[in-house]
Amino acid sequence: MATLHLLSHSPFSDERFASCLRLLGERDGLLLSGDAVHALQPGTAPRDALERLPASVALLVLEDDLNARGLSDRQPARARVIDYPGFVDACLQYAKVNSWL
Amino acid sequence: MKFAIALFAAPHSPASRRALRFAEAVLAGGHEIVRVFLYQDGVHSASANAVAPQDERDITADWQRFVERHGLDGVVCIAAALRRGVLDTDEARRYGRPAANLAPGWQLSGLGQLHEAVQTADRLVCFGGP
Repeated sequence: MATLHLLSHSPFSDERFASCLRLLGERDGLLLSGDAVHALQPGTAPRDALERLPASVALLVLEDDLNARGLSDRQPARARVIDYPGFVDACLQYAKVNSWL
Repeated sequence: MKFAIALFAAPHSPASRRALRFAEAVLAGGHEIVRVFLYQDGVHSASANAVAPQDERDITADWQRFVERHGLDGVVCIAAALRRGVLDTDEARRYGRPAANLAPGWQLSGLGQLHEAVQTADRLVCFGGP
């Protein structure tokens, strides 16, 4: 059962990001919001880890949070930038939503 | 589709604003919100006494208006609320506190209401966390 994983904390401050990546299923999706978008910073370990995810894992990024952190021209080609209606739709494209609180 | 939304973070946190924007998009998309559940520091969003700085968005007021305007089932975890001083008139009287400050549109209830919301909804989406 495919799950959308919702991350909102910086990958540089705790283990949520790394734990989430370890548990990702082949068909799961990953949505970066809030400080989790810092994972897109080029030249960092989190960014490299995202680039190495299987192509079947969808990488979504919440537009407002991406822009607020000045990373809007830094996202990898595989990332899909979504707004809030897109966030709602993404929740429905997966059987479950897992928020990494 | 039916959504349950749980908010764990204080109103001044980005997660609270994100949860509200998400909730607005759920309704705008023609979906239903079966319950908004405030837990942990999220209970502060149901306080009628919080005063936001003039140059900041008043998320607490926005949440209250949103819940009331759409007639949503806004539930606040009673144990989390009591320990943080968010009381309705019954609890203020019960514990001999000088005032009640639960904003209109919200009601205090148990954690079981979150469990029930999860059973009712197609999706649970949580916001916040330390």
